[in-house]
Amino acid sequence: MSKYLEISNLTYQYPDGYKALNGISFNLDKGDSLGILGPNGAGKTTLILHLNGILGAMDSSIKLDNMEFIEDNLAQIRKTVGVVFQDPDDQLFMPTVLEDVMFGPKNFGFSDEASMKNAVEALNMVGMNKYQNKAPHHLSFGQKRKVAIASVLASKPQLLVLDEPSSNLDPSSRRELIDILLSLDISIILVTHDLPMALEICPRSIVVNGGSITQDGVTKELLTNDKIMKENRLELPFGFALHHLDEE
Amino acid sequence: MYMQTTHSHHLSLHDESILYTLSPQSKILATLLIVVSIAFSKIINPFQIISHALIVLLIIKFSRIPVKTYLKRLTIDIPFVLFAIFLPFLSSGNNDAVFTFFSLDIYKTGLLEMSAILFKATAGVSMGIVLTAVTTNIEIIYGLQKLKLPSIIIAIMSFSIRYIDVFIDEFKRVRISMQSRGYIEKGIKTLLPIAYASGAMLIRGYERGERVYLSMVSRGFNGVIELQDREYNNSNYLVLLTLISIIVLIMDLQI
Repeated sequence: MSKYLEISNLTYQYPDGYKALNGISFNLDKGDSLGILGPNGAGKTTLILHLNGILGAMDSSIKLDNMEFIEDNLAQIRKTVGVVFQDPDDQLFMPTVLEDVMFGPKNFGFSDEASMKNAVEALNMVGMNKYQNKAPHHLSFGQKRKVAIASVLASKPQLLVLDEPSSNLDPSSRRELIDILLSLDISIILVTHDLPMALEICPRSIVVNGGSITQDGVTKELLTNDKIMKENRLELPFGFALHHLDEE
Repeated sequence: MYMQTTHSHHLSLHDESILYTLSPQSKILATLLIVVSIAFSKIINPFQIISHALIVLLIIKFSRIPVKTYLKRLTIDIPFVLFAIFLPFLSSGNNDAVFTFFSLDIYKTGLLEMSAILFKATAGVSMGIVLTAVTTNIEIIYGLQKLKLPSIIIAIMSFSIRYIDVFIDEFKRVRISMQSRGYIEKGIKTLLPIAYASGAMLIRGYERGERVYLSMVSRGFNGVIELQDREYNNSNYLVLLTLISIIVLIMDLQI
């Protein structure tokens, strides 16, 4: 049976010769969530840029919903895969929040009314509806992050890819973000150093290190394996004990 | 890490002025036409000067811009004034000295030139002050888009407005981190680190541009940025004033 997302032997070398990805292979079923863990510079961001057809030669090492990653499918792929980037300031560039959230749907061929409807819906989902006419640079960092997520949700993606979504968030904003993500009914790929967040959202995780996948398994088992954690420069926050979860 | 945001470029005043509710494209066009007709008017023609002065004064009054704010912003006029006050000492060569001031001759052509520059610069700057006071910078971009400016220019302008704050904040953080490591800016000799920091900022800006572009591409960007339609009132008064201003100019040309 073919999987929703299939990546087989994906390799990528930057123009300066640096080999960022080396033989990456994994699958994802529709509706499942996957954590991508690993140290800085492991190739996680490079990997997710491939999922959107932004980086990499158009070849068949990636398949989404039986769609080949070829030029003709590019628009459909970008509509299906929504990427939320690390720095919301990179993502929010329109003069007002609403216009920014409408940017994606309009590009993907939604009518003006549908784009507006999607945008308002998406802003509602992240609780930012009353900021519609604000300029993005007047928002706090946490608010910007929420709007960035709305700006991707508005295009109705089937697979949501988030790059370090909890970085720089205060604990309440982080909690709100996790609740938003848990409420979504789509596949999620979560790239993060926030291991408790990965544990909460993704039953399964892969560990990327040095451009290759070193582990692929149940998130909780990965996080309880000291050897795996050490080898991949991973560490749970101080005082965080996983055995409590077992007792529940 | 993220400090307070600067709002360095907010010239618009949110008040009750009627001009605030007008469509930005009509305001931009009216400003442009009035400034051009003022620029082409002749200083020796009192009818033109007085009518243009009246039009500008009326528009300033309509804008409800506080006198203090207006005068403060008018200081941008100072370079023109500095340039103009030297003109009376110059002549076009026909020796038309009107009187002598501390053994320096004051010439008629120079005096006229000075009055022309003072009047036209002040009137033009005033129109600019009113336009920016009653129109937000986003609206100006929107207006220019409505006036069919090329979309690439619209994109560049809206990006500038969006990212100037980000850039200034980033530079402030860099400076603070320099100061916290003992850097004190004292004259030209200590500017080298600032130059390095500026270079680093340039590269960061370039890289950010690339990331912004990637995030746009990933949301299906295909070369067109369209601002949402907004609703505005129209004003016949503004059209009338603009027309008068042009007519005043043309009438003279025919005489």
